[in-house]
Amino acid sequence: MREAVTSNICLTIEGLTKRFGGFYALNDLNMEVAQGHIHALIGPNGAGKTTFFNLLTGVLSADSGKIIFDGEALDDVRPSKRTLRGIARTFQNIRLFPHLTVIESVMIGEHCRAYPSVWKALSKAVFQPPFCEALEEREMRARAIELLEFLGLADKRDEKASDLPYGEQRKLEMARALATQPKLLLLDEPAAGMNPHETEELDDVITRIRDRGITIILVEHDMRLVMEISDRITVINFGIKIAEGPPDKIQNDPVVIEAYLGEDVQL
Amino acid sequence: MLGEMLDGYTRSLLIFAGINAIAAYSFYAPYKTGQVSLGQAGFMAVGAYASAVLTHKFGIPFAAAVVFGGILSGVIGVVVGFPALRIKGIYLLLLTLGFSEIISVIALSWDYIGGAQGFRGIPFNQYTLDYVVGIIVVLILLFARIERSSLGRAMDSIHQDETAAEVMGIDVVRIKLFAFGLGAVIAGVAGALYAHQATYIDSSTFNIMVSVEILMFVVVGGGSTYWGPVFGAAVLNAIPEVLRSLRDWLEIVPVAWTNFYPMNRIYDSLHDFLDFENAKRLIAFGLILILMMIFRPDGLLTRDSLHRLRFWHRKARHA
Amino acid sequence: MIYQQLINGLMLGASYSLVAIGYTLIFGVLNLLYFAHGEVFMIGAFVGLYLVTLGGANIYVALLGAMIACAVLGVIAVYVSVRPVSKDRPLAPLISTIGLTIVIQNLAIYIFGGQQVAFPDTIKEQLYHIGPVTISSVQIFILAVAIALMVLLWLFIERTKMGRAIRATAENHETAALLGVDVNRVVLVTFIIGSGIAGVAGVLDGIKNSGISPYMGLGAAVKGLIVMLLGGLGNVFGAMVAGLLLGMIEILSSAYIGTTERDFFSFAILILILLYKPTGLFGTRTTEER
Repeated sequence: MREAVTSNICLTIEGLTKRFGGFYALNDLNMEVAQGHIHALIGPNGAGKTTFFNLLTGVLSADSGKIIFDGEALDDVRPSKRTLRGIARTFQNIRLFPHLTVIESVMIGEHCRAYPSVWKALSKAVFQPPFCEALEEREMRARAIELLEFLGLADKRDEKASDLPYGEQRKLEMARALATQPKLLLLDEPAAGMNPHETEELDDVITRIRDRGITIILVEHDMRLVMEISDRITVINFGIKIAEGPPDKIQNDPVVIEAYLGEDVQL
Repeated sequence: MLGEMLDGYTRSLLIFAGINAIAAYSFYAPYKTGQVSLGQAGFMAVGAYASAVLTHKFGIPFAAAVVFGGILSGVIGVVVGFPALRIKGIYLLLLTLGFSEIISVIALSWDYIGGAQGFRGIPFNQYTLDYVVGIIVVLILLFARIERSSLGRAMDSIHQDETAAEVMGIDVVRIKLFAFGLGAVIAGVAGALYAHQATYIDSSTFNIMVSVEILMFVVVGGGSTYWGPVFGAAVLNAIPEVLRSLRDWLEIVPVAWTNFYPMNRIYDSLHDFLDFENAKRLIAFGLILILMMIFRPDGLLTRDSLHRLRFWHRKARHA
Repeated sequence: MIYQQLINGLMLGASYSLVAIGYTLIFGVLNLLYFAHGEVFMIGAFVGLYLVTLGGANIYVALLGAMIACAVLGVIAVYVSVRPVSKDRPLAPLISTIGLTIVIQNLAIYIFGGQQVAFPDTIKEQLYHIGPVTISSVQIFILAVAIALMVLLWLFIERTKMGRAIRATAENHETAALLGVDVNRVVLVTFIIGSGIAGVAGVLDGIKNSGISPYMGLGAAVKGLIVMLLGGLGNVFGAMVAGLLLGMIEILSSAYIGTTERDFFSFAILILILLYKPTGLFGTRTTEER
């Protein structure tokens, strides 16, 4: 466990509520994520964790409550604008673009920073003198390669994303998310389906991402990983926060243990 | 200028085939972002009527009228494009279809542009072939550029997974609107060119089947590459012509060979079959469509097949 | 006067309903827009016509013949343009049915010619006066057949085992298969039923309009689509009601506003529904999108 690099608060959640019919996916959630932390969000299945990510990224809109990111409220801002503000995510059930290559996938992430306006992108495409790659394009490519090397995927750059083995697809998703130059990275069950060796690797990768200055919120079921790398953990069940604190406190919290009873989890 | 060496029939054929190719690109643009539109005929109608009014009633030069037709069509395209943003699949199909039909109804009941009698006497333009060829070249270059750029990649990503693209920061709304509007502009230009070649248009000229044929050109030619639309239009327009000339060749067969049974029967039915007026041409179209969807749903030209062509080309050079 | 219009509206609407039923059944089960359905309607009309003029059959035989012929056509459609086409590319099945539409329509033009053909009188025309309403025997016949068909179909869907199987498949293919439903068989049955009904509708339309042409399919197809959407995709009951509703709206608007505007209303309704209530008046009943 590490101390927060700074004491700045990256993300503030106040009273966040989301209902689906009569069912509360999130019920009056309050939490704070400190900048530079690896903050884990855990809880039994169906506890509302992916909904939380969907609310943060703007794919779903909350019924009530406030999300304040980097000092600004998020409200009804579109997902693409939130990404521009610095929120990026990976998906629980991997959503790569099936027909793009590895490097193209990463370069998609860079598009929003390089071309915030459609007209700029179009004029660049049209007025670019032929046979010489645009300066931006070359820079994008270089940055993409750097990210791929960071995650150990550089040699597979021209393969189709859907041809990669599962573990590498997860890493590609992370590379793509990192390409958007986020301040906050949301990882949705990155260790799902991984063997212990791959999880070790993941541990290392996540830590290195944090070392680059990116705040991370981690939703995960692999408790060993969670306890190992998190600075702070929030536990929710049935959409309600039931515990919060550093790993050693959460490990021994009877409320948390009870919530997980019946789940095959070793805390 | 361009068509001077050709006879009237060939010239006309090339022009209409070319207009079809341009229309094919009007489907291709929104399709690159995953928007399947069956309403491009409606945008063609807008461009056709708008430009015809300008040239016929106000004497405005052809080129300016065509440009105006395209722009007006584009504006309407953006207007229609807004509600189209949040609906997908069959719903978008029906919305665009409905739009096209409403344009038809307007054309039918608005007497200023001809109403039920149609719009007659549109000034014929003798340089249409030049315009057509020029525009096709521009379109191919434009889409080639777009496809190789980051914008093209972004459009592909929207097509493949719109939500993921949005979350990765891609401005899905603006890009989809841009694609839809671009398609409308291209269709408007195609319609304007058509009007000044056929010199007569009415509410049934730009009907559903036109939208369907435009879709067919792209689907048959190959929807994932910028060569697809023009190739599809070329192939589907060429087939009846090829078969027609086959029939002409058939008439070379000496009479003596076919004077007896069964050869005369075979000859007659072959001759009859190759007499490709509209209905038979379309039956062949339909069969081709079905067969293509069974055996090659991605179209004739795919990115992979184009890569392979390039690969062979490179190999031959190094051999 | 308004009663005449209402009856006309019901008749037009009944025709729309019968076509839309096939559309919505097939869409519910396959998530496929079976574009060629309008052409099936047209073929039914021609089969009925030739049975009467060439075969000297009476109207009941003509109806039955059309139903059977179209049911067979439905089977052919499944084996030729639905089954062999991969469902992976969402556009492919739609386009192959468009191809089938083109083939059928132009075969009809080739064989029957492109002109309108008169539909012979088969029912003794007799006028009945009930209060302020004057209704003819022809109109009664058409409405009776249409309503009988709809009622029979309704009973079939709700009360029989196959009807349940259809509803289950419309809900979710995998669950239905787990419950022992042969999904392929169900698809075939929906095509047969839908096409058969459309065939009957075609003959009825011929009787009503006293004339048919190979081009009547396209118009029926488009209207059928609107009705299907209005009633809710995959919702058979919705299709029945929405068809009658649309028919009445069209007739009333053409009577009181103008005939060219009548189509305008239908398409305006289409667009409004798409934008504000895409689930239709009665909700969708269709396979969940994967």
